[in-house]
Amino acid sequence: MDELAYVELKGIVKTFGALRANDGVDFRVNRGEIHALLGENGSGKTTLMNILTGLYRQDAGDVFVDGRRVFFRTPKDAIDSGIGMIHQHANLVDALSVEENIAAGTERTFWIDKKKLRVRISEIAESYRMLARPAAKIYSLSVGEKQAVEILKAFYRGVTTLVLDEPTSVLTPSEADALFLNLRRMRECGHAIVLITHKLNEVFDISDRVTVLRKGNSIFTSPIGATNRTELTEKMVGRAISLNIPRTAAPPARETSRPPLLDICEIVAGDGRGRFLDRVSLQVESGEIHGIAGVAGSGQRELCDAIAGLTLVTSGSVRLNGRDIRGMGPGRQRAYGVKIGYVPEDRMEMGLAGDMSISGNVMLRDFLTGLTGSNGPGKIFFNADEADALADRIIKKYDISAPGPAEPVKNLSGGNIQKVLLGREIERRPDLLITAYPVRGLDIGASTYIFELLNREKENGVGILFIGEDLDILLGLCDRVSVMRSHKLVATLDARTAAKTEIGALMAGHSGAPAL
Amino acid sequence: MRKDIFVSFLSVIISTVLIFGALGELKAANAELKPIAKEDIKAAFIYGSPVGKEGYAFAHDKGRRALEQLGYKATALEGIPETTQFEKSVRDLIEQGYNVIYATSFGYGRYVERLADQYPNVYFNHATGDVTKTNLATYMGRLYQSQYLAGIAAALKTKSDKIGYVVSFPIPEVVSQVNAFTLGARSVNPKAVVEVKWTNSWYDPVAESGAGLELVNTGSDVIMAYLDTMSAQIAAAEKGAFAIGCSSSGAEALPKAYLTAPIFDWAKFYTADIERVVKGTWKGEFQFFGLESGVVEIDALTDNNADSAREAVQKAHDAIASGLLDVFAGEIKDNAGKVRVEAGRSLTDEQILTLDWFVEGVVGSIK
Amino acid sequence: MISFQKRAGTSKGRAWTRQFISIIVALLTCAAVIALLGYNPLEVYRQIFAGSLGSLYSFKEMILTMIPLSLLSLGVIFCLRIQFVNIGAEGQFYAGALAASYLALRHPDMSAAGLLPLMFAASIAGGGLWCAIPALLKLKLDVNETLVTLMMNYIIIKIIAWLQFGPWKDPTIKGYPVMPAFSDSAILPSVLGIHSGWVIALALFAAAVIVLGRTRFGYQLAVMGSSPQTARYAGFKTGLLLMAATAIGGGFCGVAGFIQASAIENSLTYQMSNGWGFTAIAVAWLAGLRPAQALLVSALFAILLQGCAYIQISLGIPFFMSNIIQGIILFFVLGSDVFTNYRLVIRRTKDTQNALSERGGK
Repeated sequence: MDELAYVELKGIVKTFGALRANDGVDFRVNRGEIHALLGENGSGKTTLMNILTGLYRQDAGDVFVDGRRVFFRTPKDAIDSGIGMIHQHANLVDALSVEENIAAGTERTFWIDKKKLRVRISEIAESYRMLARPAAKIYSLSVGEKQAVEILKAFYRGVTTLVLDEPTSVLTPSEADALFLNLRRMRECGHAIVLITHKLNEVFDISDRVTVLRKGNSIFTSPIGATNRTELTEKMVGRAISLNIPRTAAPPARETSRPPLLDICEIVAGDGRGRFLDRVSLQVESGEIHGIAGVAGSGQRELCDAIAGLTLVTSGSVRLNGRDIRGMGPGRQRAYGVKIGYVPEDRMEMGLAGDMSISGNVMLRDFLTGLTGSNGPGKIFFNADEADALADRIIKKYDISAPGPAEPVKNLSGGNIQKVLLGREIERRPDLLITAYPVRGLDIGASTYIFELLNREKENGVGILFIGEDLDILLGLCDRVSVMRSHKLVATLDARTAAKTEIGALMAGHSGAPAL
Repeated sequence: MRKDIFVSFLSVIISTVLIFGALGELKAANAELKPIAKEDIKAAFIYGSPVGKEGYAFAHDKGRRALEQLGYKATALEGIPETTQFEKSVRDLIEQGYNVIYATSFGYGRYVERLADQYPNVYFNHATGDVTKTNLATYMGRLYQSQYLAGIAAALKTKSDKIGYVVSFPIPEVVSQVNAFTLGARSVNPKAVVEVKWTNSWYDPVAESGAGLELVNTGSDVIMAYLDTMSAQIAAAEKGAFAIGCSSSGAEALPKAYLTAPIFDWAKFYTADIERVVKGTWKGEFQFFGLESGVVEIDALTDNNADSAREAVQKAHDAIASGLLDVFAGEIKDNAGKVRVEAGRSLTDEQILTLDWFVEGVVGSIK
Repeated sequence: MISFQKRAGTSKGRAWTRQFISIIVALLTCAAVIALLGYNPLEVYRQIFAGSLGSLYSFKEMILTMIPLSLLSLGVIFCLRIQFVNIGAEGQFYAGALAASYLALRHPDMSAAGLLPLMFAASIAGGGLWCAIPALLKLKLDVNETLVTLMMNYIIIKIIAWLQFGPWKDPTIKGYPVMPAFSDSAILPSVLGIHSGWVIALALFAAAVIVLGRTRFGYQLAVMGSSPQTARYAGFKTGLLLMAATAIGGGFCGVAGFIQASAIENSLTYQMSNGWGFTAIAVAWLAGLRPAQALLVSALFAILLQGCAYIQISLGIPFFMSNIIQGIILFFVLGSDVFTNYRLVIRRTKDTQNALSERGGK
């Protein structure tokens, strides 16, 4: 018998309707250990951690803390037992200060003794050698600092087991480094840390042990020294797959007489709410996959929206095949035959209507012109048969698993939802395809399929603007990569020769490449 | 989407079938007014406000309970607005076998007339109404005579010579009450004035309390209201004013402030009326009952009254009941100073029921 | 301790059984409360059904309630479909009634064939306008429509009350504040024993089903309701769609007002809505914003309303008591929806928890 586990989950079962999200999962984490929880999307990581932190209740199975069986009804119950979770996006009140945020919801008394609070916060911060500015307002902090506040808040509440859900996905490389340094110190203090991630690098960088989940089962646990990347990947996907993203040949050089496919020059844009573009210039060629790297929120979304005509461009020019399309909304782009496909980053918020059927979604872009005659009854009624036929075609062609065209899109899995959206945009035969984080939240199988699709479109001569977050993917798939920082486009590099460290430095704003 | 269309088609078909099927059952209504045996009588009273413990509906409901005690079936619907809601309620009643209807509010008039045509074999009685048909009678009391007596009591009590009067709508019935009250008051105290406040509702306790307070604040020290509740008087009494009730006694609610009230004894009317239905002597006629009939009365004066009040009121009561005194005998001026009734003449019933001017001494106007 | 936990996915079949069971539970709970109030619940239920469906007369009365209720819910549906929270159906009802009544009172001598269509059109315009104003405020100034539509109710009711007490008062009725009765040509004729409002309502329902389910306009509304951002992304003219949908929705409510003023009231009063404009919101919601279902649900509501009016007479239940029973039934039937989506969890007490943890800890 090994030492007594600090937190242990035994035989956890949790079903959602027909889906068994957790099917008898065992998981244990010890004091003074960083334990990586690895698994594809839909493998049950998040469900398991939601049970551990009191958000869900298990259908069967037990949770033990220090050998004592516990029941969590609410996150507060879990925190009382010393288990806290740090979510990807901070749950902090922007207008309040750090200390107010930390005290909110934790103090039982109505009046808060600020002096005592401040002392206590700096004590905690000191013991982990974290920087703390208790009086600073949340809105003035960077993403990494906000995350640190969340962690402080957890410790303030007496948390000794910390669960972090993909904490580095919103951080710059240097911020991630700082986070890891902190995690190591917490480990020294004897805390238990669970790191949910799908990035193998991080697993090897920091964790002591790793547990792999697949299809709701815990199938593999090992000290980090006794395993390797290939083994972990195999365990995750259940088969050995190549991690190499196939990059097809670069497009032939454009004849100088022809304009570039997309030519953006010095555009300034914004929706008046603080999101904007600051004199961005960019060119995308036909048959090219052009990547955009950058920390989330650096202006990628605004860039895509500006091209798609969803954000007002106040100066500069946007040309497609030499034609000025600045100020053309999606309706006018369609009317004038400007063919831009756009896969936005949050597909359920923009791009798809979740409550509607697959048919209803695939006809979205062209229901006025493409699916029916523009005269006669087609002017008033839409042609449901044609929409169903198109949906059927897309379902078959893109291998979407769905009961039929009438199925509401929201009932599909993430990968299939993405395929509906991509399928619709590709079937319109666009000249330019904008894809923002197209593999976010997808498992390796679905991601590979999406990459293949994009490569195929590239070979068909479509120019692709690929907004990405994972540098390995960007460098593996794209022909060129541009880096955005603080709403500016700071550099464009050849993806075949650029180094990850170089791009990381550009993202973070260092002048030179940091040592990694 | 296809399912939607199917379901709606189905609903169309089902409802059409139902309506056609129902149509077959339609039978012509028989059109004769017949005497009804006592055990077959089902009388229904419809009130515009909840019965509560005081006021207009309460007074009528005392009459209904008297019928019940005599063994008649008599039910009541309260709080029925003066809209087609009334018409529908009466239809519901008739459909369940009710055959004598007492509609107690003037505002039901339009609907009562329509219903009387629709159901010729049902007895309709409309309080304070102005249209009669073979099966529609109207009934009302000369409550103005009691108002005259209440005015005497109020005028003998007031120190400020200012009496407040809260009223609902500027209809002749209401105007006649205010006028008679004022004439009574000025018969014993020529300096007394009566200030009027409108609430535009028979039942609106909040507005009534507000009006009562306002009147006290502007100097009135005796408050009267011709409404369904005593909210105005109760609010005013808290400020030290004295109260005259309406339609029913307020001695319990306001032991320190209550003086008297013009009241109805509707039991006298209802028991006699229902007997006429049984005997077959009921007629769709216009009925107007005065102090001599006992249907209208003045409540026993409490000890809160001025010493001379009891005697003065009794004297006037006897004079009116015996026909020696006519409340609306000339000379009467309106409150703009114009002579409306010359000396030696008096208002006819027709004129009383169409009054649209206030007598001298009333502060306020008919909007 | 008792708490509610949201159910994860619900299959369609299970949802139906659950809904059915929860309605049964609701009726049982109601029965208990009715028994507590001192009445025989079985008798009350029986009388409610007898009073609403038991005879030709009661069936007709039920239909008369159903006509305005269903049209109002249809109006609410059009607005809620695009996430425009319209709680102003009451006001739009009166606005439509007012517009129609203006024509009826102004042109009593016109023929029915001329006057009724004009009144119909005016009621659509009136109701539509009353709903489009908050929509415009939302569009241009980002004003919350929930509040504005609610406030607009009071405005129009006060306007009608003012007209009724003042300028439009019937001069032939001595001093009493009622508007003149419409001339015969302004009154909807009967079809099959019930005023022809039911024909209008059915036609409008059929039209609504087709518009929402088959037309490009309906399609755009569906996209907008599901995701406004996606509608913008697809290049829809979202502002125009908002105005059109709210105007149509308000128009339906206005037609209900026209039918009620013309066929039932034969005049206009500020008290004629019976609160149906608010009931209609519950109807629309229970119907899942689908017109065909709304027809069914408004029939159920009409049965309840008519049934409760009936028991007031037949069982001699005081009116406030019958209102309470009506409220209880509604509360529990509406509440049954909670049980379809949530699961009741009874928390184990500390003692059993400890006992269990001891056993589990070994």
